[in-house]
Amino acid sequence: MNIAPYSEDQTDALQEVANIAMGQAGDSLARIMGHFVELSVPRIRLVTVQDLVATVSEMVGAKEDVAAVRQAFYNQLRGEAIVVIKQSGADELAELMDYEDEVDSEAEEELLLEVANLLVGAIINGISETLEAELGFSAPSLMTTGAPLERVLTPDKLTWSHALLVEVHLCIEGHKFKSHLLLFMAEESIDALRGILDNFIDDL
Amino acid sequence: MAVPVTVVDDSKISRKMVIRALPPAWEVDITQAENGEEALAAYRDGKAEVMFLDLTMPVMDGYQVLEQLQKEALNTFVVVISADIQPEAQERVKKLGAMAFIKKPVKTEHIEDVLKEYGLV
Repeated sequence: MNIAPYSEDQTDALQEVANIAMGQAGDSLARIMGHFVELSVPRIRLVTVQDLVATVSEMVGAKEDVAAVRQAFYNQLRGEAIVVIKQSGADELAELMDYEDEVDSEAEEELLLEVANLLVGAIINGISETLEAELGFSAPSLMTTGAPLERVLTPDKLTWSHALLVEVHLCIEGHKFKSHLLLFMAEESIDALRGILDNFIDDL
Repeated sequence: MAVPVTVVDDSKISRKMVIRALPPAWEVDITQAENGEEALAAYRDGKAEVMFLDLTMPVMDGYQVLEQLQKEALNTFVVVISADIQPEAQERVKKLGAMAFIKKPVKTEHIEDVLKEYGLV
């Protein structure tokens, strides 16, 4: 199956929408952590299941183990959001979030889910508000902790063959914590989003 | 007389969003710039009495534009338009001489508030 790439204007609009949504996610994260959050320039790619691991590995960088949380989003656009946090950064979470009790693995999971939910919620709401599209999202579920990235992104865990990938990452100034937020939209939603972006551009 | 206004953003869509949000009653002569260098060139051509400035841009970003304006003591009214809405990001640009900070997506009332506050409309 061939997916027609987005036009320059559609990509520009999506990039801008991702940028706005990420700004809101960064602000939410900065508020709960009390640290300045550095934001990336959003990256947009069309990927297939086959080149997914290579593409995401390149974006995430170093071959370090990661923790990952997934959330589905639905309504006008359907897909999944995966938050990938390098394990060394995940280990810092309790400290960054002023968690005072002893951090056992259960507490660590809760913190991961909380941060992922905060980021995904802010991004999905930002996209939804900016594009005036109805979007909902599910509760977060933990995919893995302390595992290599390839184990997060195995084809049997994914339900599509082609997807539009929107990647943003947020770092905490002066700390190791870095989270990558990956939004995947499968075939149908790639076309649905094309229509939504066209309407958005036409309204300008 | 129309006010020379330069809108600086590498995204065409984003420039359109800013231009669309300018108050309809405000008489302006709009120049668009895709990066900081183009913005400074527009200023030197007398086209940027007011500058709406994005921060993240290739070639020369918004922070560098602010630094350059400060260094040369240039006189333009800079409104930073940014998706990074953290209070610290706002403080950083104000320290660099930006007069105001407006979050993306830009709304007409936010631009109006700034222009009224400084008696520009």
